[in-house]
Amino acid sequence: MINCELFTCDAATKKLYEKAKKERIDTVWDRALAMQPQCGFGEMGLCCTNCSMGPCRIVKVSDDGPKAGICGATEDTIASRNFARAVAAGSAAHSDHGRDIALALYHATGKIRVKDEEKLFKIAGEWGIAVEGKDASRIAREVAEKALSEFGKIFGKLLFLKRAPHKRQNLWDELGVAPEAIDREIVEVLHSTHMGSDADYRNIIRQAIRAALSDGWGGSMIGTELSDVLFGTPVPRKVEANLGVLKKECVNIVVHGHEPTLSEAIVMAARDPELLELAKKQGAEGINVVGMCCTGNEIAMRHGIPMAGDFFQQELAIVTGAVEAMIVDVQCIMPSLATVAKCYHTKLITTSPKAKVPGAIHMEFDEQKGLDIAKRIVKEAVMNFKNRKGEVYIPDVKSEGEIGYSLEAIIKILDRVTNSFAHPSGTVKPLVDAIKSGVLRGAVAIVGCNNHKQPHNSCHVTLAKELLRRDILVVTTGCGAHSCIKAGLMSKEARKYCGKGLATVCELLDIPPVLHMGSCVDISRILVLLSEVANYMGVDISDLPVAAAAPEWMSEKAQSIGLYAVASGIYVVLGVSPAVTGSENVTNYLTKDLESVLGGRFEIEKDPVKAAEKIAVHIENKRKRLGI
Amino acid sequence: MALFDIIFEGSKQALEAAKAAVEAAIEKKGSDAKVAFPETAYGLPAIYAATGKKIGTLGELRDALSIVESLIVPEQNLEKALNAGLATALSAEIIEACKYAVEEKPYSEPCVGFISDAVIRSLGVPLVTGDIPGVAVVIGEAPSAQEAAKVIKDYQNKGLLVFLVGKIIDQALEAKVKMGLELRVVPLGYDVTSVIHVVTVAIRAALIFGAVPPGNLEELLKYTRERVPAFVNALGSLSELVVSAGAGAIALGFPVITDQDVQEVPHYLIVQKDYDKIVPTSLEARGIKIKITEVPIPVGFAAAFEGERVRKED
Ligand code: SF4
Ligand code: SF4
Repeated sequence: MINCELFTCDAATKKLYEKAKKERIDTVWDRALAMQPQCGFGEMGLCCTNCSMGPCRIVKVSDDGPKAGICGATEDTIASRNFARAVAAGSAAHSDHGRDIALALYHATGKIRVKDEEKLFKIAGEWGIAVEGKDASRIAREVAEKALSEFGKIFGKLLFLKRAPHKRQNLWDELGVAPEAIDREIVEVLHSTHMGSDADYRNIIRQAIRAALSDGWGGSMIGTELSDVLFGTPVPRKVEANLGVLKKECVNIVVHGHEPTLSEAIVMAARDPELLELAKKQGAEGINVVGMCCTGNEIAMRHGIPMAGDFFQQELAIVTGAVEAMIVDVQCIMPSLATVAKCYHTKLITTSPKAKVPGAIHMEFDEQKGLDIAKRIVKEAVMNFKNRKGEVYIPDVKSEGEIGYSLEAIIKILDRVTNSFAHPSGTVKPLVDAIKSGVLRGAVAIVGCNNHKQPHNSCHVTLAKELLRRDILVVTTGCGAHSCIKAGLMSKEARKYCGKGLATVCELLDIPPVLHMGSCVDISRILVLLSEVANYMGVDISDLPVAAAAPEWMSEKAQSIGLYAVASGIYVVLGVSPAVTGSENVTNYLTKDLESVLGGRFEIEKDPVKAAEKIAVHIENKRKRLGI
Repeated sequence: MALFDIIFEGSKQALEAAKAAVEAAIEKKGSDAKVAFPETAYGLPAIYAATGKKIGTLGELRDALSIVESLIVPEQNLEKALNAGLATALSAEIIEACKYAVEEKPYSEPCVGFISDAVIRSLGVPLVTGDIPGVAVVIGEAPSAQEAAKVIKDYQNKGLLVFLVGKIIDQALEAKVKMGLELRVVPLGYDVTSVIHVVTVAIRAALIFGAVPPGNLEELLKYTRERVPAFVNALGSLSELVVSAGAGAIALGFPVITDQDVQEVPHYLIVQKDYDKIVPTSLEARGIKIKITEVPIPVGFAAAFEGERVRKED
């Protein structure tokens, strides 16, 4: 057994890990231990399986091993190809998510109503869709159509690129990295990384950048914007977090995965009076829906549904013995869940044709019959209540925080410090003033996953605290957000971690110092915020005193996010190195040279305290260059 | 220059000036000579409230310079910038104290200089009841006497207590603004440093009414921020010294509204170039709501005129 004191800073995780061990359940940490030592070739990105002449590997540790693949591919080619493919996969995951939301909007008639018409009109305006004399559902359909065509249109660039500062758009054009159609960019990565295609690591990475940009400014942005249109733009609200939100006396349903189309429907279904009645009949006090990972973020942001936990807590949720059903859709769903669920009464229910898990019950979700299917799924959970067996143990660990900081919400909050006789309202001016005056030194996005190579949650939390102390505002999404809220960083009391400047800002605006901006696709909100700030200041994103960090990242999506952030001009600090270190050229290109090309670059820094120091230096340098 | 650097620069200038003032005073009177402001039980109130120490002699005043110096740490963050602002306030008090140590009567008509404890006690009740809804500190110089008068009279009409520092005093005289404590317009002095005499009004209010223990800076600043509804109008060109004094005001929780181009700080440092809007901008910034509805008659009419005897010929 591993010493869990060392691998996580979260109390609920520790307690449930101990229960899992008692009950002889293997978790992600145990499998990670069993995997040691992990393969050095893969870790360095020096293993290629792109054709059946392989697998090939480049040997670095001794002089006499192979220095090229059988086709002649060098370490630079192999490492950059592997990296590009990871980025493409990440972009594909986000983009397919965006496509599903666009499809849901397309079918939004009758049952699913458009919740935020104002936002719908705004996007229609941005995309040149006439709105006069049309009703909302017709406009929704046209916007959805236009969004869907972004995935495969034949000519022209992505529409949302126009949101970026002009300097940035021009730079992308000059470098030839402005994405055209989302799917096409992903396909092109797959093409150029095929055996015998592109061998120039810079060119391979250039194509990866296009695919990544088509995620951040394409798939993810479509996902976020249209989710807001469909389900409402998040506004600040209180929410509870951590596994302590499960309720012993209730039917507990964990929704896990990514797409809000499913989780929204489940939330609605769980409020159905008939099902509530049924739950009572089964001896339960009610139905308790809680969220996990990004879909958890989505319904927390919009409905205040409790955030049960992050990526590494998914198995532990089941280990409580209190989960009647874990309902999943796509992405970051550990296949091990089926095995863990088998030891309890928990039903693992998969819903997407794109993500089935052997051993799970599959109840396919379809947006058009969303609520009906959701009700069937919830009923399945309710009927499972009486099947609980073994010890139910819900650790008494939860925290509370304020979340729901969409860009729209942030701008509204900023109006609180404008003077109605001196300032315009509805702009980012107060934020810009706070930064320019030096009250805030800068802002950092802490995003990303959990990874056994880093202590669970503590990298996110330590980094955040180190930044707050230095008057650096933190925004967060994804599992980074789960970490921060669990550690209490989204409560008002978190001001005690802040320097005077940030504490003052939080007090004036009545906000926590760490702002939850949503799920992983919602990182697009951060791109838009940065663009608004840069536009207001008349500079490029790369001029701003900002940075991003993914201290515990693991997924290919995170690699796509990291690369589109870099390509948008942002300094990105990674706590875990991508598998490129086998090639010095590729590593240098990503961590050094790219800065002179795009204004952003990667930095690899495992230690969150050192990462904070590096970020602070970066931010002060940017300030100096701006003369502020 | 970055805003914080301007503040640090101004604070250093103030410190240098304070050092010079103390040296000059000691040269003239010797280090055992007494320093005191008239009619106060709080020594040098700013230094007393911040440190808990009562300064009695010029020699002790020289020692106090090191406290000021320790507050000026030019690191780029709000905390240090506000501390530097406080240092400027303390420097100002030291300079003003030297004036009183060297001269019998450093201030003369129309300026009042230091304000006695008795006056502050008399202000306590109307401040608490909201009869005096706010304290405006107008410092510097308006573009013209008319504009100066407009702003001052507007505050006066609304019942605010107005303190004047700098050329604005002459502008007020020129525009025939009626002044005096009963009229709630109090000209302090022509030097920037005389602004400390209104700062110590706020500070002594904290000591007297808030029972803030001397030496508890944290609580002092909380009291002034929450309980003393003051703000500053800094008009005309801004020297580094004035900006750093402004940081001192901000440290006390008082927003600064200026007609000059500076980097704004949300809520605390606001640019308002339109003279018709300086008053409402300031009131909103300090969250001051006027209780009495203004009476639209041509003569300024408000509590400010309560003390004025209506002469027969009027
Ligand atoms: S593409 Fe080249 S390096 Fe890769 S497996 Fe085939 S032969 Fe080996
Ligand atoms: S942050 Fe990472 S682990 Fe968490 S949901 Fe997003 S991609 Fe998955």
